[in-house]
Amino acid sequence: MKRHLRLFALYFAQYAKVRLAYKADFFIAFFSSMAATVIGFGFVLVLFTKTPQLQGWSFYEILFLYAFSLVPLGLFNVVSWNLYEFGDMYIIQGRFDRILLRPVNSLFQVIFEKFRIESLQEVVTGLAVIGICTQHLHLGWSLTDYGWFAIMVACGAVIYLSVFLILTSVAFWFEDRIGIVPPVFNMLTFGRYPLTIYSVFIQFMLSWVIPFAFASFYPTTHFLGRQELTGYFYLTPLVAAAFFTLAVAVWNRGVMNYSSTGS
Amino acid sequence: MASPIIEVCDLTKEFRTFKRREGVRGAIQNLFVREQITIRAVDRISFSIEPGEMVGYIGANGAGKSTTIKMLTGILVPTSGSVVAAGFVPYRDRRRYTRHLGAVFGQRTQLWWDIAVIESFKLLKEIYEIPAADYLRRLDFFCEILNLRQYLHTPVRKLSLGERMRCDLAAALLHNPPLPFLDEPTVGLDVVAKDRIREFLKEVNRSQHTTVLLTTHDLSDIEELCHRILIIDRGRILFDGQLAEMKDRLARYNQVKFSLKDRTQVARLPRFAGNGIACERVDDLTYVMRFERSQHSSAEVIRHLVNSLLEVSDIFVEEEPIEDIVKRIYLGGGMG
Repeated sequence: MKRHLRLFALYFAQYAKVRLAYKADFFIAFFSSMAATVIGFGFVLVLFTKTPQLQGWSFYEILFLYAFSLVPLGLFNVVSWNLYEFGDMYIIQGRFDRILLRPVNSLFQVIFEKFRIESLQEVVTGLAVIGICTQHLHLGWSLTDYGWFAIMVACGAVIYLSVFLILTSVAFWFEDRIGIVPPVFNMLTFGRYPLTIYSVFIQFMLSWVIPFAFASFYPTTHFLGRQELTGYFYLTPLVAAAFFTLAVAVWNRGVMNYSSTGS
Repeated sequence: MASPIIEVCDLTKEFRTFKRREGVRGAIQNLFVREQITIRAVDRISFSIEPGEMVGYIGANGAGKSTTIKMLTGILVPTSGSVVAAGFVPYRDRRRYTRHLGAVFGQRTQLWWDIAVIESFKLLKEIYEIPAADYLRRLDFFCEILNLRQYLHTPVRKLSLGERMRCDLAAALLHNPPLPFLDEPTVGLDVVAKDRIREFLKEVNRSQHTTVLLTTHDLSDIEELCHRILIIDRGRILFDGQLAEMKDRLARYNQVKFSLKDRTQVARLPRFAGNGIACERVDDLTYVMRFERSQHSSAEVIRHLVNSLLEVSDIFVEEEPIEDIVKRIYLGGGMG
């Protein structure tokens, strides 16, 4: 564990060095990421000029939900880059060979070889907006609430990671690029609005098949003290643990099935 | 005798792939109906290697060399059969096993593309948990013998192939693995770079008693480095033994090369052809007689040459070049 933390720090420092060597590139990436976040919040603002409430949620409540969904997502985005390119870079180009030749867990290496550093912006912005919302909603958090908040953020990030890890692992069996990741990626936006506005089918999907609701909606209802679907909040760590276990198992099966490329 | 460091038994690897149809129409058909085909890249091979051996593993493109190496290094899981290397089952005990192996894949770098060579080395030091003193000592030794020092601060992507290859070799051996696998370590290199790498490998083998398995298309690598060779052809081991023994068993021809005293002798040559002896021109005055070893002896051919009326200034007896033997094997002449 200690060794892995140390390796993580080294990988991160190394990558940050490379990334910052190309300053212009980094700043453009940073500002475009920032712009996407700002536009997202702008949309919520525009929405609430037309209506004072959305399915019984006030402006600050929706803003809180939106901001909350950003924090674990930002953390996930920081490490997700390699997952997005995995099939191309590692399987088709055969870079995965190198990963398997080293005495470090293969998943650890793949995840931490590249970082989308600019996505830390989403975490910071999200936290800031949550701060503003808690003021306006007079939530008055206790130490326990902060503890739960940290746990929920971590669980959310793990849920995102697990879902995309399972999709990524498909590359071990099907070398042909299949467009399954982008549609699921687009489903991330579903988590930014109250689950109750969707049909029962989508509610079920977002809870038990692609459990994005556990990464934003269920934790938020708890923190806002809302009465809908409150019990689910406590299931979040279980869902995160179950999906992560499944994802790692699928990944490991995939590694055994890896067939490398010609010489 | 010590127990073998690599033990391979009935090792087989099959790949399942889909037949692809050509063209746009074919691509659309491929989406719906795919015909599965199984390719057996490595077919029930067995061999064992003792600690400290340097073994050359050769075969034509697609013969199964890289697939074997990938099973030995744990990258690929065998379809059937067994491998035990340094006491581990490579694919199963991967993380513990990788500390004992080093690997160079000539076609592909193991280093991080965007960062300076020395930074890659430092990361490897942490990954393999190499003690600082050992790390510095080895780094120094590698820089010296592979002449790396001036590239240490260059990003890997800016190195030439030869420079990168030397860095790759150093990277693969930094943790002093008892079992380096080298897949075409000299591919695309110039004579000087090749020589440096060979000297380096000899030195490491001598001083560290490492066991080296290397694949190559350059047979002079084998002649320089390896006492033993394994030849694989269409997934099967065709020959396993000493290099000298291979020449003895598989060489079909010998040749006698001779130089004529002057041009006037050329007209007298034709009588030499025939009777299982082929006479070929090398240059104006140099000719070579090639004959089957089973039919003629070198002594007999030389006697024939000396007794003739040709005035000859020099005679050399040569074995069939190893390239020719191997070429014949690749072309399917096999063990003849």
